Amino acid sequence: MASASGEQTSAEYIQHHLTNLVCGKTPSGWTCDHNAADQMGFLAFHVDSLGWSIFLGLVFVGLFRLSIPKLSTEAPSGIQNFVEMCIEFVNDNVQSIFTSAKNNLIGPMALTVLVWVFLMNLMDLVPVDYLPTLAGQVAEATGMVENSKDAYFKVVPTTDPNITLGMALAVFVLIIFYSIKIKGLKGFLAELTLHPFGKWMMPVNLVLEGVNLIAKPISLGLRLFGNLYAGEMIFILIALMLTFSSISIGLLGVGLHLIWALFHILILALQAFIFMVLTIVYLAMAHETEDH
Amino acid sequence: MNINATLLGQTLAFVIFVAICWKYVWPPIIAIMEEREKRIADGLEAAKKADDSLEEAQLAFDQEMNKAKAEAAEILEKANSRASQIVNDATAKAETEAEKILSSASKTIENDVNKAKEELRQKMSELIIDTSEKILGDEISPEKHQELLKKAASEL
Repeated sequence: MASASGEQTSAEYIQHHLTNLVCGKTPSGWTCDHNAADQMGFLAFHVDSLGWSIFLGLVFVGLFRLSIPKLSTEAPSGIQNFVEMCIEFVNDNVQSIFTSAKNNLIGPMALTVLVWVFLMNLMDLVPVDYLPTLAGQVAEATGMVENSKDAYFKVVPTTDPNITLGMALAVFVLIIFYSIKIKGLKGFLAELTLHPFGKWMMPVNLVLEGVNLIAKPISLGLRLFGNLYAGEMIFILIALMLTFSSISIGLLGVGLHLIWALFHILILALQAFIFMVLTIVYLAMAHETEDH
Repeated sequence: MNINATLLGQTLAFVIFVAICWKYVWPPIIAIMEEREKRIADGLEAAKKADDSLEEAQLAFDQEMNKAKAEAAEILEKANSRASQIVNDATAKAETEAEKILSSASKTIENDVNKAKEELRQKMSELIIDTSEKILGDEISPEKHQELLKKAASEL
């Protein structure tokens, strides 16, 4: 896939953009060499996705806490206004969904999900070649790779299913934790086995409810991943138009990129919002105690 | 696009960031917002209270004012009636006094007239007797004299 020299084909260009910088354990030890990626098992990390994810998480904390050293009760200004607006928005959503149960973890979690996922999605608006090219140049200059084309760098964390499913996994664990905490182990198992057909159809119920339960994190993670991956793919395809040596196609590409970027702003925010709302809804369902 | 340990790494990062948000980001801002909300609510309530008390004060003021006006009117009326009474009293007193003076004056006059008449009669009787004595040249006895005097006085 990575040619040591010469022109990239379109397929190679796309492939290059969709490949992560990966470090992992191979039979011969830990390595970040892309050529050894095939030999890596489960013990491998997408350094780029994870790095951006953590960086953007720090941006979130910095923006929401560190940038306001002195909180003002009287007249909030600038960033504090923005932060309060976000928190009020999240709090309203949480309170409209969590009507009966109270849990003071849900608000902060929903806020983290909303802002963090939005920031990760936002990386999608950075033109697709900027950061990978920069990373390639840095890697070549520091001697990590011989040719900058061999350096892989995927910028948008939410186009990596590991990232989205990783968050969904945390939500899933919380769903099970709160289900057992609120309803008791017995109540949780009863919910899994006694609905919808009564106790004589227990296996059928278990299969149905089990699918229902498993579907929550899977759909949560894959929805975000799918939307962002598709969006990213379209950006890559549009960027590909600029590599052709034709001015008219290039100009068309610029126009399309602008239109898609404008439209994508909506998707970015919407997907972050959906992820947040579904997280709240699933956890609210875990808190529900009445029979249905 | 392989699923690998990145997933667990992200889960861990998620847990850590949620914990940071839960402990350090959310509570102070929510606390500040609640405090402000409370302050605004308190302010509105205080304003409402002040409004109410102003209305109450206005009402009390109006009441006091009306009472004072009524009192003033009453006092005025009383003063008027008292003044007219005083005038009436004074008039009545003056009238009686005048009457009294008049009656006493007329009495005095009558007395004087009577006295003058009496004196006149006396003088006249004496004169008559004297004259008669002179004319008659005869001495009249004192008894006779007295009798004559009485007789003359009663006739006159």
